[in-house]
Formats: sequence, C-alpha cells, structure tokens
Amino acid sequence: MSSDYENSDNEYFEDDDEIMDEDDGSASDMEVDGFDNGYKTIGNKRLKSYEVDYEPLSQKQIEDTMKNEIDYISGLCGVDADVASLLLRYFDWNREKLVDKYMDNADGVKTNAGVSPPEKPEPSTASSSQIESHTGPRRSTRRANSSEAQKQSKTKAIIERISPPVEEPYMCPICCDYNPTDTRSLACEHKFCSSCWSEYIKNKVRNEAEQWITCMAEDCNIAAPNQFVQDVLAEDPAVWNRFKELLVRHYVASNKNLKYCPYPSCTYTVSCPSASSKSSLTTIVPIVTCGASPTHKFCFGCNIDDDHRPVVCAAAKLWLQKCQDDSETANWIKTNTKECSKCQSTIEKNGGCNHMTCKKCKYEFCWVCMGPWSEHGTAWYSCNRYDEKASIEARDAQSRSRASLERYLHYYNRWANHEQSAKLSVELYAKTEKKMEEMQMTSVLTWIEVQFMKKALDEVSKCRMTLKWTYAMAYYLESGNEKELFEDNQRDLERAVEELSELIESPLDTDTITDLRQKVTDKTVYVQKRNEIVLEDTAQGFQDGRWKWNCSVDGFD
Amino acid sequence: MADARLRRVNKEIADCKNDKSSHINIELIDNSPFHLKGSFKGPEDTPYAGGHFDVDIVIPESYPFQPVKMKFLTKIYHPNVSSASGAICLDILKDAWSPVLTLKSTLISLQSLLCSPEPNDPQDAEVAKHYLTSKASFEETARYWTMVYAGGPGKTGSAAGQKQDEVAMAGLEKAHVDQFESLGFERGKVIDALRRLNYRGANVAKINDDRVVEELLK
Repeated sequence: MSSDYENSDNEYFEDDDEIMDEDDGSASDMEVDGFDNGYKTIGNKRLKSYEVDYEPLSQKQIEDTMKNEIDYISGLCGVDADVASLLLRYFDWNREKLVDKYMDNADGVKTNAGVSPPEKPEPSTASSSQIESHTGPRRSTRRANSSEAQKQSKTKAIIERISPPVEEPYMCPICCDYNPTDTRSLACEHKFCSSCWSEYIKNKVRNEAEQWITCMAEDCNIAAPNQFVQDVLAEDPAVWNRFKELLVRHYVASNKNLKYCPYPSCTYTVSCPSASSKSSLTTIVPIVTCGASPTHKFCFGCNIDDDHRPVVCAAAKLWLQKCQDDSETANWIKTNTKECSKCQSTIEKNGGCNHMTCKKCKYEFCWVCMGPWSEHGTAWYSCNRYDEKASIEARDAQSRSRASLERYLHYYNRWANHEQSAKLSVELYAKTEKKMEEMQMTSVLTWIEVQFMKKALDEVSKCRMTLKWTYAMAYYLESGNEKELFEDNQRDLERAVEELSELIESPLDTDTITDLRQKVTDKTVYVQKRNEIVLEDTAQGFQDGRWKWNCSVDGFD
Repeated sequence: MADARLRRVNKEIADCKNDKSSHINIELIDNSPFHLKGSFKGPEDTPYAGGHFDVDIVIPESYPFQPVKMKFLTKIYHPNVSSASGAICLDILKDAWSPVLTLKSTLISLQSLLCSPEPNDPQDAEVAKHYLTSKASFEETARYWTMVYAGGPGKTGSAAGQKQDEVAMAGLEKAHVDQFESLGFERGKVIDALRRLNYRGANVAKINDDRVVEELLK
C-alpha cells in the first residue's frame, strides 16, 4: 500500500466538507477500490521471507472504519447514518456498486434494500426531512442528522401511542395480547408489541446470527435500522453487543482483505491485503496472529487451524483431504488386499480357495503366487509354482502398484508421527517444568538460568510443526534436484530436532548440569537456524516459482 | 414469554375451531397444546382429492419466532414430501418463516403445496424424478397412494381392506415387473430396482435390459 494513498485517504476523511462542496464525483474517483481503507501494516519491521505483512485490528477499530464508510455514504447520498448502514449492508459494503445504483435510481435502491416501503406516499414528516437533507447543506453532520431522525421517530411513536385505532381494540398479532403497553413499527407501519419485537430480534441475533432484521409481517422486506434494534434491545445489552459484533463480522466477511479470528469468542480481525487474492496464495503462506493473544494463530488463506508453513494452502488442503480419505483405508488395503495382476483392481479375499477369478476382468489367478491359474494345471488348492516366471512377473506388476501406496504411507506415517509428538508436548512441558525445579534445587542454577529448558522445548514444538508439514510438501514435490535439496534441509532439521529432544529428556546429573546447559543452549540455536533455513528456503522457492508439483495443485498451472 | 406462546397457540387452536370455512382441523395429541395434529382434505382436481391428510405439529420453545415443525403422518406421494418419513420441504417451514404466520395459514400453505408441487426443489428425489418423467404416471401413483393411505376414492369403490398393490404403489407397470421377475429375480427386488432407475414413461426406452439386470445384481 503506497503511502500517498494512505495520505489521500486520511485527508479525505478529515477535510470531508471541502471536498464534498467542490464535487461529489471526485470522492469516488479517488477511492477506486472501495475496500482499501488504508490499513497500515507493520511496515517498519523487517519481514522474513516466510512471514507476511498483516495488521491485527480490534472490534473498535473495525467499527471506526465502518463508521467512516457510513459517514461517507451518508454525506454522499444525503441519508442518515442508519439508512446508510442499511444500504451498505445491503450491497455487502461494496461502496462503488451502491453509489452507482443509488445515483441511478435512489428510490428503487431504497425499496429493494428494505429502507422504505414501495410506492406508498411517505408520511409527511419523513419525506420532508429527506428532501431537506437532499437540498440542504450537504455538510450536515451525521450527529445532527441522526438526532433529527431520533426526534422524528420519537414523535412518531408518541403519535402512535396516543392515537390507537378507535374502532376495535388493537391486538398484537404475534402474542395475541390485547392493548399491549407499548408498540413499535418500522417504516412499513406494521405494528407489533415491543416485547414481541424484542423476542424476535433476540431470536434472530442469538439463534440465527443474523444482522439483517426484517419486519415480522409476512413478505415485508423492510429492514430494522440500528437505532431501532438498539431501542428494542435497551434492556439486553448483551444481545445488542452481539448484534454489533454481527455487524462487524458481516463487514469483515464482505472485505477480502480482512478475516475474523476463528478462535471461539475472539472479536479480533486481521487485515492482510497481501494474501487477499487467490493467486497470492501460491507464493505465500499467510500465517497471522490476531491481536488478542499470541496463541490465536491461524492461516489467513485457508481454514486449516494449524500453522501449515512451509507448505502452501492448496497443497496442505490436498494433503489433509488425502489423509482423511486414505490413511486408515490405505493401511487396511495394504494388509488385507492384493491387486489383480491383470487389471489392477483391488481384491479382498475373505474366504474360499486360492483360485481367484477377478470380478472385473475375469482373469483367473492364484492368490498365493499371483501367477495365472492356467499354469497350475490340476494342482488345485495348493500352489507349488512360486518360482515360475509368469508369477514373478505378476508379482512385479503388483509390487509396482503397491509402491505408490507404500510411498504415501511413508510420508503419512512421518507426518502423523510429528503430529502425535506435538500432541504429547503438553505432557512434556509438565515434565520439563518439574525438571527445571529439580535443577534449581540440586544445582547452583537460578530460575532464570534454567529457562533454557523451556526455550529448547518451545523450539522443538515449533520445529515439529514445520517438519510435519514438510512431509505433506515432499509428498507432492516432483522428484529432482529441487526436491533433493528440500529433503536434505528437512533431514538436517529433523536430525537436529531429535537430538535436542533427546537432550531435553535425558536424565539429570548434578555434576554435568552446566555441561548439559551448554549443550542444550547450543543445540537450540542450531535447531532454530535449521528451521529458519527450511522455512526461508521454501518460502523463497514459492516466490521464485521453483517448486514443481507431481500432481495438479489448485492455483498452480 | 412462555405465557405469550401458550396464549397464542390457544388462540390459534380456538380460531381454527371457530372457522368452519377453511376445513382445517387442529386437535391435541397427548394433552399438550405444543404437540398437535392438524388435518385437511386433499384439494380438488389433484391426485390428492378426496384424501384426508394428517400432519404432526410440534410447537418449538421459541414459537412464534421459530417456525413450527411439521411432517405428514399420512403417507403421501409428492415430490416435496418424503415418501418414507413424511418430512416436508417448504420454504415457510424454514428460512421464509415469519412470526405472523399461523398454524392455520401454514396448513393452508401445505394444502396448496399439494396443488402445485415443485419437483425442482424436491424432498423426495425419486418421486420428483417420477413426476418429471411422466406426469400422468406420477398422478396415477399419487392417486393410488391417496386411496390406500388417505382414504381417498378408489376405482373399485371402497378402498378399505383392499390388498395393496406393490407395483402400483411404486408407480410401475405390471408388465415390466413381470418381465424381470420371469428372469428369476425376486419380485420385491425388481420393484426396488425399477423404482431406483425410474423405469417409467419415456425412460423405459432409454434404459436397456442389461442396465436393469446390473442394478438387480448389485
């Protein structure tokens, strides 16, 4: 994001009035991409090639940005903030599309977006205020506008309360209560009692996570403005807060530069424009951390809840899919089945004699030697022809097809192994904690001096994560020099990690404790370096387009 | 809000009782106003005419802000109703629900669903395929189901006690079933396979006998 762009953006919002007075059109010219809100990224920190540029944002920050958007539309279209919010939400925060359509046919847009009812003469107060804001000074700030609207709605409510329909007593059609104490209605004037409104909105917000609340009447598309929702939920601040969160979530979901933190009940957002396009995901692995906690680490590009560096999202997804489909099945297939030596269909023998007839190609063969049955002559039920040439060939063909399965299992087992180790790390942490206490008691080392153990363990878990995913990567890499280099790096890291692991778990000896400390500290540094090398080299490889896959991976050609 | 829910349901039941013109009937199952049985007549000029259809109604906790749960108790042959479970595919029972809708209006909507099936948004894919392949054959089957399950008028007069005809039930031709049965397959299996393949109307010409046998051997 260029700096002058940011400047113009800020300038624009500060000197709102000036620009608006000059020309409405110029504003939209400047903001070509409606979603570039000038989020600053951590520009001054030097990034490693496997890191991405991103910025964590709190709910408050997003709300401020939303407010800016709303103010902009509010000023441009001459509507109050609540209407602007509805319009923006209706257009999924696509400002350009909204302005385009709105300038084309303001009334039509308002009707479609559920802001005003179709072709019905507006109540005099409402329409007059709208005309006013069109013709009046454009500059009129949001505050003035909304207080005006509030006043308006209040007077409307009062009028309603003091003049109920005379003929028959009013009954709320929802709860069938006669003469409810308080009623409310949206612009469509479908009247319901306040407690029903409150239940309805609570249900929409809590159970359906819906930010777009329409009138309760059948086939009525009029949407509830925020002020209305807030008034109804006056006694339920929790639900109102949830509603505000839903608004933020909707905004975030509509903007491809933003992603909501997937951790339960976290309200942070991450802005990562460099990973917003699908094509960018072939060159970077956008692992980000939301501002709430350093443990809230997730991938901006996909839904895998794991730091899957160094492998890119598409390949990681492919691998997980394969594991889910294949791993257990593959193990079972390996132990229980053989392939027909002619058509390679997989066959399970679940009883009967060794004279097999392939169901698919009708090839007859011997289960024991895999050779053709015709050569067995009359020697039914026993195979004495193991060494015959034909059966050797048949077994060769079979072993070739088995090789691909073996290959997959090779990678899968290592992948699963590291995953398992990572899962056991909680236990290991507890054990290490104990060891550190022991060290402090039996040796001269202080608390701060024994922290090397924890640091080493941190490094080990981190590297296991990297290692785990390198196996997914290696599985899909095309054989060749590049892959060999990759596997060399992988091997070096793996060896170093295992050595460090062993050191951490080795029994304590009071005499050699300083020696151990030295060794562990050195090894930790080494492991750290090896990990950097794997991550950096792989990331660099993606940027240079150096990696070639052995199958088609989404996004790569 | 609990009393509002009860008040509303009671009023709805009372309204339905007082309204004789709509021919919609609601009664209580096991004495709770939150588990009801609705019933209505099959609309005229449809294969369901003359039938009497029962619907199981469960009023959810947050009614009327959540839609009622309805399913057919009477077996019915309709693209938007599961022929096995009676589950209904209708928008107002899901996302198009509005709190102003009532039990009566919902049952009327169900009734009108019987008039205008939507085979392109089916609940029962097999029935929907049947509908799209041959509407005449579908209607015949639907009429037969109405006669057998919903007490509708049969060709032979009284439907009660009549032996159910599996072939007609599946909307198939007797000749087709006999043809494959004569190959030595069990009758039930033949009916199943032909139903799965949608062996009806114009489709018969498209599906060759080998395909049927293959399906039968599965």
